[in-house]
Amino acid sequence: MTILETRSLSHDFGGLQVLTDVNLQVVAGERHAIIGPNGAGKTTLFNNITGTYTPSQGQVYFKDKNITGAGPCKIQRLGMGRSFQITSTFDRLTAFQNIRLAVLSQKGIRFNLFRFVDQMDEVTRDTVEILKRINLFEDRFTLAGNLSYGKHRSLEISMALATNPDLVMLDEPTAGMSVDETHYAVGLIRRLTEGKTVVIIEHDMEVVFSLADRITVLHHGTILATGTPDEIQQNPNVQTAYLGQMED
Amino acid sequence: MNKKTKSLLWIAGALFLLIYPRLFGIYYANIVVTFAVYALFASSLNLLLGFTGLLSFGHAMYFGTGAYGTALALTHIPGLPLIPAVLAGLLASLVLALCIAPLVVRVSGNAFAMMHMAFGQLMFVLALKLRDVTGGEDGIGGFDIPPFSIPGVISLDMTDPILFYYFAMTVIIGSLWLLWFFTKTPFGQIMVAVRDNAKRVDYLGYRVPHTKAVVYVIAGCFAGVAGSIYALFQNLVAAYDAYGILTSFVPVMMTMVGGVGQFFGPIYGAAIFGLIDEFTTRFTDRVELVLGLVLVLVIMYAPYGFAGFITKMRLRWAARKAA
Repeated sequence: MTILETRSLSHDFGGLQVLTDVNLQVVAGERHAIIGPNGAGKTTLFNNITGTYTPSQGQVYFKDKNITGAGPCKIQRLGMGRSFQITSTFDRLTAFQNIRLAVLSQKGIRFNLFRFVDQMDEVTRDTVEILKRINLFEDRFTLAGNLSYGKHRSLEISMALATNPDLVMLDEPTAGMSVDETHYAVGLIRRLTEGKTVVIIEHDMEVVFSLADRITVLHHGTILATGTPDEIQQNPNVQTAYLGQMED
Repeated sequence: MNKKTKSLLWIAGALFLLIYPRLFGIYYANIVVTFAVYALFASSLNLLLGFTGLLSFGHAMYFGTGAYGTALALTHIPGLPLIPAVLAGLLASLVLALCIAPLVVRVSGNAFAMMHMAFGQLMFVLALKLRDVTGGEDGIGGFDIPPFSIPGVISLDMTDPILFYYFAMTVIIGSLWLLWFFTKTPFGQIMVAVRDNAKRVDYLGYRVPHTKAVVYVIAGCFAGVAGSIYALFQNLVAAYDAYGILTSFVPVMMTMVGGVGQFFGPIYGAAIFGLIDEFTTRFTDRVELVLGLVLVLVIMYAPYGFAGFITKMRLRWAARKAA
């Protein structure tokens, strides 16, 4: 079953054509990686799907609903979570408060002006559980802006997951991480996304081939190939456009 | 500080406020009422500026509307009791906030600040020009201050400054407690998140404009309550005091000096301004000169204001104790 689909999606920034006729299909339950050289349009594709931008042409379907042009908030409520390439947390709030905001959203607690948030035991319990799962429990009172880079990235990814979405869009979750941190993050993603559909943008080929069920290669704003990791590795077009360059 | 010491301190503070007018007399009681009115006014602004990251240069329009609302209600409705008169001020500010909120919640930063300056000045000019309603520059004064009465139980004469002190302090401390409570609710968390990173709030499934609108209306209402108490206290509301540009700037400065984004910041700020005003006027009329200098010094050397300074000292003290 297809959970996410883009139909002839195109996007141009005032004449600069970034995406052309992209038909992406993501099957429910799979881990789908999007790879491609810098400037291929990966993040723009994400932004079109998650509601940052409205596509210039084409449609986006999520769970068979047309979500073209809907805002991030509405799309999130339909069950799509997203993390960012450039860490985007609430830096003057603690790690605990960051995760708690995601938990509150997941529980649909939005305009509650009548109870102490600290006394919502269920919310606190869920938040603590998530913090323990991502090894941030010790740092729960640290301001997000003061966390080490690796931990800050973990928080970033976990906030997207803490809202318990059906589909998670991870934009370069391991960007800027050391080898050890990357290794840890991949394990974390694997653990936290059990049974969920994941779309992940990634530069690190090791991560891509170890994590992804299917891969889509984006090049100059169009889809070059889609397939299993093996198929992608064998594909001659991909080799010349992308993988080949790396072997030089 | 543990919970017990904290509650003891609060009880001591409440007792002090209770006997204060008996100890120091009417003059100093009035100074505290003025301080409390500004503390509430500035705290309502801090909800926007400190907690949601929205700088308003026109918050006086809610203060002024609350003041005019109460004054007009008392002038035109004979026999209006005290509490409904205060509620009339609150209601007037609420209606204004509901009208303006949809226009301003989609902007932030400079646009938000400037739009408020424009709306604030618009209200000022209206108050100045609609002489038949507002009394223009002279304002509305001399309206009867109704007694605080629960029929058959009690009737307290509110023209007695000491009894008014108790009434005003009760309303203001109650309002401040409600404001504090809001910052501790789930909604309070979301508004702080909007300040830190509105984009991420959107991606977590919260509606940013709606959140801003609710905060905005609450801030407007409490500024209205402050204005309403001010009108009862002065028994006079005039355009310059109610809507003047300085009335908008003062709570911003108080919040900056006291500590932006800290709940007690604007309360400290109002106290500092009150003290400076009290001592400076004994020597010169140029109070603004001293206030301006203090603001510059705070921005340069204590960007988190007095509350931030206290936190820093406390941390340093704790570190020394631990060493």
